[in-house]
Amino acid sequence: MLTLNHFLALGAILFAIGLYGLLSRRNLVAILMSVEILLNAILVNVVAIARFNDQAQGDVFALFIIAIAAAEVAVGLALFLNVFRLNGVATVDPLRRMKE
Amino acid sequence: MLTFVVLSVLMIVGAVGVITLKQPVHAALSLVATLLTLAVTYVTLQAHFLAAIQVIVYAGAIMVLFLFVIMLLNIQGDQPQPHFRWMQIVAYLTALLAAGAIAATAFLSPRELPNAELMSEALAGGGAAAIGEALFNDFVLAFQLVGVLLLTGIIGAVSLVQRKATQTAKDERELSGV
Repeated sequence: MLTLNHFLALGAILFAIGLYGLLSRRNLVAILMSVEILLNAILVNVVAIARFNDQAQGDVFALFIIAIAAAEVAVGLALFLNVFRLNGVATVDPLRRMKE
Repeated sequence: MLTFVVLSVLMIVGAVGVITLKQPVHAALSLVATLLTLAVTYVTLQAHFLAAIQVIVYAGAIMVLFLFVIMLLNIQGDQPQPHFRWMQIVAYLTALLAAGAIAATAFLSPRELPNAELMSEALAGGGAAAIGEALFNDFVLAFQLVGVLLLTGIIGAVSLVQRKATQTAKDERELSGV
């Protein structure tokens, strides 16, 4: 029998995978893709919880998350293009200068 | 139940592919697989409209952006320089800890939860009509604000990528013969 817990567990696994990618990858585009996995893990939870609690608001919330993710990807990729232009590579290494 | 298991396995394999494959294009295609199986999962949850949006916006628009940037950057995968060897171990531990914490919270919850078969019969929501009603009645302000945010994001992205605006302006003036 399928319960809410199954969806929450799936979300947890996806979130953990995304978190690992976020921390271990050094390519900026790969990091942004890991962020997308994180967002989608949250989306699974939001949609499943909304569905199991009889609320349409959850779907609206998920819609907003998708819209914000689109804006975030656009701005993030534009920033990465600039990083690539300035440094010749699109990894996190040149960004170490930011702490100086 | 079987559908859920198959979809979950595909989704997790896709997600693992995103974080392990060295070629960014392969990782991006793996991400597409994850997003598409997620859309099918939404269909099994009766969220048809959201499934369509997931395919159109995520697997469509966002992935096209990713692929464009990967092509522009011509990235050859992660360089294998072990700058932070310990970071990988920390990443493993953090991910495991997070998974354990969330799963523990989900499964040790004392609340009784209804099962999916009963709920899906009781629910008629999830279609475009129900979402539209909620969106344009209770969340109009948030809807407008998201619109403004998207516009800001687009303008920000364009202005960030634009190169040497003064130079192009000068070129155009010369071209128009002033």
